[in-house]
Amino acid sequence: MSYALSTLWFERQRYLPAVLAVAFSCLLIALQCGLLLGLFSITSIPIDESSADIWVAHPDVPSVDLGIPIPEAWQSYLAVPEIAHTEPYIEGFAYWKKPTGGTELVLIIGARLGPDSIGAIRQLTPELRMLLSETSSAVIDEGEFTRLGIEKVGDTAEILGKRVRIVGTVSGLRSLAGPYLFCSLDTARKFLNPPPGQCTFILGKCHDKEDAPKVVERLKAHPRKLYPFTTQDFSFHSQMHWLTKTKAGIALGLAAALGLLVGAVVTSQTLYSATVASLKEYAVLRALGIPRWRMAMMVVSQAFWVGIAGIAFAIPTIFGIAFVGAEVGAKIMLPYWLLIFATSITLVMAMLSGLFALRSLRMVEPVTLLR
Amino acid sequence: MRADGLPLTPSMKAWGLTRSYGSGDTKTYALRNVSLEIYPGQIALLMGPSGSGKSTLLAVLSGLLHPDAGTVLTLDKDLWAMNERQREAFRLEHFGFIFQGYNLFPALTAREQLEMILKWGTGCSARDATARTSDVLTMLGMSKKAHLRPMQLSGGEKQRVAIGRALIKQPNFVFADEPTAALDWKQGQHVIELLRAAAHDQGSTILVVAHDARIIPFVDRVLHLEDGILYEGEERPMELYGGPTAPSPGYIAQ
Repeated sequence: MSYALSTLWFERQRYLPAVLAVAFSCLLIALQCGLLLGLFSITSIPIDESSADIWVAHPDVPSVDLGIPIPEAWQSYLAVPEIAHTEPYIEGFAYWKKPTGGTELVLIIGARLGPDSIGAIRQLTPELRMLLSETSSAVIDEGEFTRLGIEKVGDTAEILGKRVRIVGTVSGLRSLAGPYLFCSLDTARKFLNPPPGQCTFILGKCHDKEDAPKVVERLKAHPRKLYPFTTQDFSFHSQMHWLTKTKAGIALGLAAALGLLVGAVVTSQTLYSATVASLKEYAVLRALGIPRWRMAMMVVSQAFWVGIAGIAFAIPTIFGIAFVGAEVGAKIMLPYWLLIFATSITLVMAMLSGLFALRSLRMVEPVTLLR
Repeated sequence: MRADGLPLTPSMKAWGLTRSYGSGDTKTYALRNVSLEIYPGQIALLMGPSGSGKSTLLAVLSGLLHPDAGTVLTLDKDLWAMNERQREAFRLEHFGFIFQGYNLFPALTAREQLEMILKWGTGCSARDATARTSDVLTMLGMSKKAHLRPMQLSGGEKQRVAIGRALIKQPNFVFADEPTAALDWKQGQHVIELLRAAAHDQGSTILVVAHDARIIPFVDRVLHLEDGILYEGEERPMELYGGPTAPSPGYIAQ
């Protein structure tokens, strides 16, 4: 065992505040980001719940809920051997006129409804699809009735002066912005009025899902300047758009920076005072001619191990809190890249704190040992 | 004189050493024109009352405190003409220290305290460090306690570890400041015997600063420092008692 690690273990009570501060920083960053990802994953529900492998959009499209019309004829560009099936997808915001008065912005999502449809969300059962085949009918999340000023399935309201009827509900698809209105392509055309022959996205389904990234790369090189994504990429792209657009990213950054600062100050001070407590021992080493950098390495490796111990505390706690969060309805997403990010940044913070604590070694003066 | 009758060559020669603290009216002299020679294979004891400048002299001779004036020639090198880095390297190669406190790392075992010096200082391999540490611990009678940390050791044992730390590099010089002060006489005697053995068996030059007159029979030579002036022998010579302005007796040779 290294001298730094032996010291850390033997004097664990002294180093515990630093370990806990590192754990706190790591926890704060991972949970903050995880909560936000959970929140913004809502913005990509229509993408995540579809069966498509490839999404082709207008080059300027920032997010799934902010589509720009493209010609439906672009489907022909997707006529490549790997793709089994393509279809158009229409979506856009519209004003919902509540029967109780007032309006609400809704996001209309129109897709084909057949059993082999790749745009329709999975939650749409064959029964619901049957009901949606009637023009001007829509399905909403079961939690959106109040927001839409209606009470039950069968109620009607108006969009663009045209009547719309709710024919069924799904669950777990509440939105961040306007409520989602799932409907057929015809209904979506009726309420969104896209130019003739235009849709918002073109979706593709591969014979083998694994081919999607390869096909996307080829489509990117297409002279027509298509803007293709795999489903995973488009989902991420949409979430990141909301993260940056809403400035939530800045709030998150500040909160995480605060967590890091607290961690850095406590870690640095703990290492500083631990080093000061050993000044006489270090002074003997200096008298014996041991170079100063050896002692600096000792402090920095202590910082490293404090970081590792803090992360070891943090990881199970993060998963524990995420589990409890899920139980009470807070969605905390913890993808592996987020955990790598949170642990790396806290480890770097711990090491920098160690470097900052090195100033204590300047006080090492062997002559003070001779009284 | 050596056993064959030839004169000894000093391993360290110092002359004209002066060191003061403070300035103006508060200026006090810890060393006044001190000169001496010390020899390999000998243990020399430096005595004197508190505040006589013993620790200052030890610090100046061992390269830890810059003198105001004077020269320290050790192994034919001028210690105070070196730059800081050269002096540090010189200390690493040639000097061992034993201080009043044991100053051992609380978290490390007796073995680790010694190995650390070899691994960090000399860059020797882990295997060599372990072997040499075992030898030194055996010599100190500490081989059965190698795995213990300072809090599990008695004062005498801790001091033996501190001595081991000073001797592990097999230095040419060992400077010891009150190595027996915190020990009972039995333990103190053992410590001084260890230092004596290092001088006589390994040929090291050992300079011990101590108050305890019981050490005198165990050393080869006694030096006496009072008011910054160095005398050879146990007591300050009567004829030199003349107040703080008395001239230095000058060069003291064996």
